[in-house]
Amino acid sequence: MSRLPLEGYVVIDLTRARAGPTTARVFADWGADVIQIGPPLNAGKKGGALTGSFDGSDYQNLHRNKRSLTLDLTTPEGHAIFMKLAAKADAIIENFRADVKHRLKIDYKTIAKINPRIVYGSISGFGQDGPYRDRPGVDQIAQGLAGLMSITGFPETGPVRVGIPVTDLCAGMFLAQGMFLALLDREKTGKGQWVHTSLLEAMTFMLDFQSARWLQDGEVAGQAGNDHPTGVPTSCYRTADQRMNVAASGDLYARLCHALGAPHLIEQAEYKTFKARSDNREQLNADIEAILITKPAAYWIEKLNEAGVPCGPVNSIDQVFEDPQVKHLNVVHYTDHPKAGRLGMVGQPITLSAAPQPETFRLHTPDPGEHSNEILAELGVSRDEIDRMREAKII
Amino acid sequence: MSESRLPLEKYTVLDLTRARAGPTAARVLADWGANVIAIEHPDRAGSDSSGFTGARSGPDFQNLHRNKRSLSLDMKKPEGHAAFMRLAEKADVVVENFRPDVKRRLKIDYDAVAKINPRIVYGSISGFGQDGPYSDRPGLDQIAQGMGGLMSITGLPGQGPVRVGIPITDLCAGMFLAQGILIALLERETTGKGRFVHTSLLEAMVFMLDFQGSRYLQRGEVPKQAGNNHPTGMPQGCYATTDDPIVIAAVGDNLFKRFCIAIGGEHMLAMPEFSGDKPRSDNRKQLDAEIETIIATKPSAYWIRLLNEAGVPCGPVNAMDQVFADEQVQHLNTVHHVDSKRLGRLAVIRQPVNIDGIDHSFRRASPDSGEHTDEVLMEFGMSSDDIGRLRAAGAI
Repeated sequence: MSRLPLEGYVVIDLTRARAGPTTARVFADWGADVIQIGPPLNAGKKGGALTGSFDGSDYQNLHRNKRSLTLDLTTPEGHAIFMKLAAKADAIIENFRADVKHRLKIDYKTIAKINPRIVYGSISGFGQDGPYRDRPGVDQIAQGLAGLMSITGFPETGPVRVGIPVTDLCAGMFLAQGMFLALLDREKTGKGQWVHTSLLEAMTFMLDFQSARWLQDGEVAGQAGNDHPTGVPTSCYRTADQRMNVAASGDLYARLCHALGAPHLIEQAEYKTFKARSDNREQLNADIEAILITKPAAYWIEKLNEAGVPCGPVNSIDQVFEDPQVKHLNVVHYTDHPKAGRLGMVGQPITLSAAPQPETFRLHTPDPGEHSNEILAELGVSRDEIDRMREAKII
Repeated sequence: MSESRLPLEKYTVLDLTRARAGPTAARVLADWGANVIAIEHPDRAGSDSSGFTGARSGPDFQNLHRNKRSLSLDMKKPEGHAAFMRLAEKADVVVENFRPDVKRRLKIDYDAVAKINPRIVYGSISGFGQDGPYSDRPGLDQIAQGMGGLMSITGLPGQGPVRVGIPITDLCAGMFLAQGILIALLERETTGKGRFVHTSLLEAMVFMLDFQGSRYLQRGEVPKQAGNNHPTGMPQGCYATTDDPIVIAAVGDNLFKRFCIAIGGEHMLAMPEFSGDKPRSDNRKQLDAEIETIIATKPSAYWIRLLNEAGVPCGPVNAMDQVFADEQVQHLNTVHHVDSKRLGRLAVIRQPVNIDGIDHSFRRASPDSGEHTDEVLMEFGMSSDDIGRLRAAGAI
């Protein structure tokens, strides 16, 4: 197995639900030694996480490549063990509600006193302070609050959520990005820092040009259905069999018309300029669809791509993973789980030359506390002490 | 206390990106302090067209390209290519999102640059991957939204596929590339060597499927459209009030109980149809109908306050103007301003990560094409005579 770029970094993972674990997964997948810390389980009780059962596909996908230690941080002994780990770690990741880390005395300032090199990453729902700091935050609340639902879907159906937990995932990715920035900075200064973001900040950033339209031009974007909000023609059209996307804004329009065998549409007064196409968008979409509907999607996908016009199918989730390009990209990696057997999961979406992601994940998603003995032994805790802590339900 | 020092100050980035995905990666590096030099074809000088993202003076372009300088250079001309290689020799990072073969045709690909600068971190974004059956296809956000399955799981059942109202695959591919570049820079601190880092709109989208992808990969379930309900956890959805709709998320036994008590719907706790996650998901229509009857009796502000006090996640469905008027969004100071020579004061969104103690206000507005050509070339050791020759050859 090739060397992974984050080998040698030790990360303490206090995260739960999805946003925080998404950050920890970036570190784990790229080779860091990620130690997950969760509360001790009640013996015999089949527990579960906020993302469903520990054995479920969601949990298994989120927590691969890490080890797990159970630890009750509210006990003095549990806290002492945590501080011992923190003294040696490079990074800590947490997504408790903003005040919890202070109450547990494991906040950035406390840790930095014993380890000034620590990079401490936090995700909250709405920010570490401000009027909503104590509100419970979850993905869909942030999708609504930050405007995404007001610009997705068709005007006649009301606001629409996006079918993936986009604010959780983006907040997680932004936090990982911020932590890498802080680790790079540490190379220069020798010091760590506190890095934080929130579902709300992540989603507001992701509005991108939709927010710039408002902030700079005072335009409130509405729902544009399957039309691109500003690019024309770009939509999802019916064909003889299934729907397909075609994007032919700007100079691509003429190419599209030729490929459709409808060069007359280029010079037609209603479509002659970009502005005209934008003003007569519905009619243009109808004219395009009238041609596309005569042949199946596969025919058009081949023909339009040959002409250099962006287009493609609307895949269902099973079709995605059957798609020849998706297969070629080898996005699905496997892990051998001792109980569940071979499990498929999507690997990190970036490729680093000479550091290919291992074909199988290094570690399967651990059961809570699966590595408690091993991790505590690495810290120099004796077998007897471990047994005693287990009896006292500290681990 | 704020410092003006930014974490990427010592890095120089050559930015060959266009459209949106590549510029999103370059923007991360620019906003965090790197010396980002946009390299643009001399044809662009004086034009207000950005080619892909509307007018150069428009809100989209201005939001995408802040904090960088612009150099005009025709890399197809031998003099232009030589000038690029001179820049690349000293740079830390190259970012590009041409179609995969273009960088090789221009002889500015990773192998070519690494020969003269083995420390280079070279970042590429393509539509569908650097190779494979679709590698030559033109790629674009909505194509990847459809191909990557997102449109099949967004929207109401039966209404047909629905696109997401932001260019999500562009933005995510850009963010993943920035992440990969930062990882490679971090690794370079130990190895002294750079890397070729790449992703694509398609890989980014498939990764973003997250639990919707793993439901299929591990359980063989093909997720469908679930409208405004959460695909697996209930109750979660968008509910009508006497005025505006609100989002409520009360998934799991604990939250569901708190929610029922808060809204005065205790009778739901006694109903076997709603006892447990699976029954609530299986009987989602009935559950939504029960909830709607109660929620429809009071205005949105009432419920948002009441439910948050009870610890149940709840919030409004804001339109764009409401987003930026929201008290928490204002508190978070997400909007920064930048002064453009030509366009005056412009509002743009800052990076969504906070590094405590670092003030990342904007240093520059988006440049005009070629605005900094002479300045940049001189910093890389070219004389005014050299620059004069490049200009005479039409290479800048």
